[in-house]
Amino acid sequence: MTTGDAPAPAAHVPAFAAHIPAPAAPVALYVHVPFCRSLCPYCDFVVVAGAAAVGPRSRVSAYLRAVAAELDMRADALDAAFGRPGSDARPALETVYFGGGTPSLLPPGAIAALLDQIRARFGLAPGAEVTLEANPGPDDRGDLAGLARAGITRISIGAQSLQPDELRALGRRHRPADVADVVAGAREAGIASVSIDLLYDVPGQTLASWTETLEAALALGPDHVSAYALTLDDPEAEGLTGPSGDHLPTPPGARRWREAARATQDEDRAAGAYGLADAMLEASGYPWYELSNWARPGHQSRHNLVYWERRPYAAVGPGAHSFDGAMRHWNAARLDAWMAALVSVSGGVAPMLPPGGSESLDAATADTEALFLGLRLARGVPRNAALSRIDAFAWAAEHGLIEDGPGERVRLTLRGRLLSNELFARLV
Amino acid sequence: MSIPQSRLRNFSIIAHIDHGKSTLADRLLEQTHTIDPRQMTSQVLDSMDLEREKGITIKARAVRIEYTAADGLVYGLNLIDTPGHVDFAYEVSHSLQACEGAILVIDAAQGIEAQTLANVHLALRQNLVIVPVINKIDLPSAQPDVVMDELENVLAIPREEVLLASAKEGTGIAEILEAIVARVPPPKGNPRAPLRGLVFDSHYDQYKGVVTYVRLAAGTIHEHSRIRLMGSGAETDILELGVFRPQLVPVHELAAGEVGYIATGLKSVRDAQVGDTVTDAASPASEPLPGYLPAKSLVFAGIYPISGEDYPLLRDAMEKLHLNDASFTFEAESSIALGFGFRCGFLGLLHMEIVQERLEREFSLELIASAPSVEYRVTPMGGGPVLAVDNPALMPSAGEIETIEEPWVKLSVITPSTYIGPLMELSTNRRGTFTSMEYLDPTRVLLAFEMPLAELIIDYFDQLKSRSQGYASMDYEEIGYRSARLVKLDVLVNGEPVDALSLIVHRDKAHTAGRQLTEKLKELIPRQMFEVPVQAAIGSTVVARETIRAMRKNVLAKCYGGDITRKRKLLEKQKEGKQRMKRVGSVEIPQEAFLAVLRMGDAG
Ligand SMILES: Nc1nc2c(ncn2[C@@H]2O[C@H](COP(=O)(O)OP(=O)(O)OP(=O)(O)O)[C@@H](O)[C@H]2O)c(=O)[nH]1
Ligand code: SF4
Ligand SMILES: [Mg+2]
Repeated sequence: MTTGDAPAPAAHVPAFAAHIPAPAAPVALYVHVPFCRSLCPYCDFVVVAGAAAVGPRSRVSAYLRAVAAELDMRADALDAAFGRPGSDARPALETVYFGGGTPSLLPPGAIAALLDQIRARFGLAPGAEVTLEANPGPDDRGDLAGLARAGITRISIGAQSLQPDELRALGRRHRPADVADVVAGAREAGIASVSIDLLYDVPGQTLASWTETLEAALALGPDHVSAYALTLDDPEAEGLTGPSGDHLPTPPGARRWREAARATQDEDRAAGAYGLADAMLEASGYPWYELSNWARPGHQSRHNLVYWERRPYAAVGPGAHSFDGAMRHWNAARLDAWMAALVSVSGGVAPMLPPGGSESLDAATADTEALFLGLRLARGVPRNAALSRIDAFAWAAEHGLIEDGPGERVRLTLRGRLLSNELFARLV
Repeated sequence: MSIPQSRLRNFSIIAHIDHGKSTLADRLLEQTHTIDPRQMTSQVLDSMDLEREKGITIKARAVRIEYTAADGLVYGLNLIDTPGHVDFAYEVSHSLQACEGAILVIDAAQGIEAQTLANVHLALRQNLVIVPVINKIDLPSAQPDVVMDELENVLAIPREEVLLASAKEGTGIAEILEAIVARVPPPKGNPRAPLRGLVFDSHYDQYKGVVTYVRLAAGTIHEHSRIRLMGSGAETDILELGVFRPQLVPVHELAAGEVGYIATGLKSVRDAQVGDTVTDAASPASEPLPGYLPAKSLVFAGIYPISGEDYPLLRDAMEKLHLNDASFTFEAESSIALGFGFRCGFLGLLHMEIVQERLEREFSLELIASAPSVEYRVTPMGGGPVLAVDNPALMPSAGEIETIEEPWVKLSVITPSTYIGPLMELSTNRRGTFTSMEYLDPTRVLLAFEMPLAELIIDYFDQLKSRSQGYASMDYEEIGYRSARLVKLDVLVNGEPVDALSLIVHRDKAHTAGRQLTEKLKELIPRQMFEVPVQAAIGSTVVARETIRAMRKNVLAKCYGGDITRKRKLLEKQKEGKQRMKRVGSVEIPQEAFLAVLRMGDAG
């Protein structure tokens, strides 16, 4: 860190002076809603399914009380550190994101109440983007008109595929027609921005079936498309499932499913699928703006851009991650422990912040993050930022991974996007 | 303590592996009250961890015993327990040089085996008195009469001389002690002549420096003597003088014929090598003792630290271990694939395995060994001096070679006659030729073959054991070089030869070996930024080829909901993986790929 008076030698000047870590108030808020009707075998999110999610014994109302409590406590802390919402150091939120899980399972009234609370305690800027993730199944998608009335401006639909057999192989509960229904419903309800999530490199997929999925998705006229490679990580092996970890252990059935699915994955097919998606989306008026995201002009996910641009964001709910510019913090994954801390059952005991973990970032780590997150974006990173890692960038140029972009910037080529980890691993 | 030279007896215990030498040594130590019964364990002289784990003796150990004989006099006995495995014949012959007699132990159930013969011949060559002992007579399968017949027929040892014992149960031990006193002559050497002591072993002690083990051929040494090592010229005041009981016990003096240790305080291991002669600095002897012929390495391999920074530690470890095991050789070498390391010569495969394990354990190193090789002799095209090549990577290209010769051995196999067929087949598959067969008794034969050493060091011994259900034993000795149709098989990754993976193989086996190697490497080398051909070639002729396709995709596509920490950690893990890779040209090869391929070499 360059805190002394003497200027550091030129070669060691950090790439982005702006990234010398200092805490700041959030400009975005993530709310994790951990409920799903059933568990998809590849799912790596913090989710509880079945009776805990729906029906008489569901934990939803207890969850809502806890989330309200956490919102208040996080807001109290921000008030103390940066002042009331709207004051100079405490800008109103630009985006709110209800992610999951399946947030569309929550009643619109509950969403409306949460948004009221958020507006009061965090502030919501005029024209703020308020996203909600929805699953397409008829009993999953929720009351779209009600959600729109509650203040949802953007909906992200977990379509994954538009091939019936692929959906079955993925253990999804909906049919391709359901996706069309949700898109239509969202439009009818007046939701301004509609996004569709798709998966490639999934069991049974061919480049032909992927092309059909892309064509069918484009035919629905979404504003935004995300295409993710099916990623079969093992959070347990990464050490993320302990008591303060932000993940739950993978059930044995899901583990077996993943083993079998992994055997069907194919690097060459996956690379082909990505290239195909990029070409078709670009040609249809959806240029890429992030490695896995394509959008019509004006429809980029402002919330996700906050992550990639390393702007500060708050987060509530089990397993949720926040960032204040200097520290990354996460809540532990277990729903019970999270709720137990926030809601006192017998009364009397004051609520506490839930268990979790955190890491503080030094200037070098912050620089590194700025590079590998910035390079995920189509606009890339400033040319002079590359100077501090000249070897890695020279290597990337030699292998055709990067190119010059407009405005003295460096960005990934198509090949570079597919092989981005090869460069990023040289940057960390 | 001072026992006249006429009452000293120096002897080794020799036998085939596992016939009970160390157990017999236990009983001799017990009966003479050398070791406190509370400190007694079985095979107490096998004190190295590796020896205890493997249940075999690796290093010869000397012990000083005081024995009150039936004649009422106290005798000083210096016993040396020797290893039985064929790789350590060199250690046995050193031990025998310090003795006038040898106890030959023969298992009553197994009879004469290959190293029984080899070790007896070593002892006879040095004119030692042999005290034959048939051991394990407690076993239900013991056949002392049959074994006595064998001894008489094969070694011309008269049955009257043979003693019967059970080292396990302690029977026959008193007779053995009496036979040593009666049959083994006392050492010669004038205690008043100038001091000459042969360094037969040593170890390094942090506080006492190099501790040399000596047998005095002449003269007397005192605890305050100043000594000189005649070979290195180093001089030093003795820190401590003593004998092995078996732990080090200080004494005031040692005289001609005795065996003991000298703590020299010398810090450099080169100042006091095994085979050097210790003399008195003030009145030195004029001539050093003959010393030892250097051990002849038969098997060669590169030993490398897994992480390059450990190279200086490895060098230091090699020097220190060499002090305790002078029979391996080492010389710095470097490999493109494995970095800096040492080309080492060993007495055999077990010796190689033990040296590697001792380096790893005693010096906390992680090592990788290249595939074992023998030493080839290469006559260059158009004359010129013959080259000795013990590293396949350094073999000249085929066009520059007039002839290649490889070492051959005479192989002696003792087996029950039922296994003659399978063992003949095994040996001829290994390019061996059968030379003779001799019946030791009606059911057991001694087979002799000649065979290239290279074929023997792959896994011949394991095959011999498995095809004879464990009954056959073997011994071999070098019989010189013969020319052969050998070729060097190079492995090229992206056109670059990977030196550590070169092999010398017989022409007829080259294609198969090449195919196996390239297929395995294709499996093990991850995709690179570009397409990578993997080839096996003899000179410029490619005999096998595989292609590793270019990497197409390595991307963290998924959005982990703001969890940047996880993304960064995954990238850091990828980075660590890359740092562990070895680079060949511009190709990154994981260390595991080398290990797997080198192991495949072991399996033949
Ligand atoms: N039944 C029986 N077993 C014995 C006797 N002597 C030794 N053994 C066993 O034979 C095995 C080998 O004994 P060791 O004393 O280690 O043999 P060694 O000759 O020193 O072996 P190396 O040093 O490896 O050549 C051990 O399991 C002993 O317990 C005996 O008199 N009777
Ligand atoms: S719907 Fe989404 S969050 Fe729920 S289990 Fe499936 S993948 Fe996970
Ligand atoms: Mg032994």
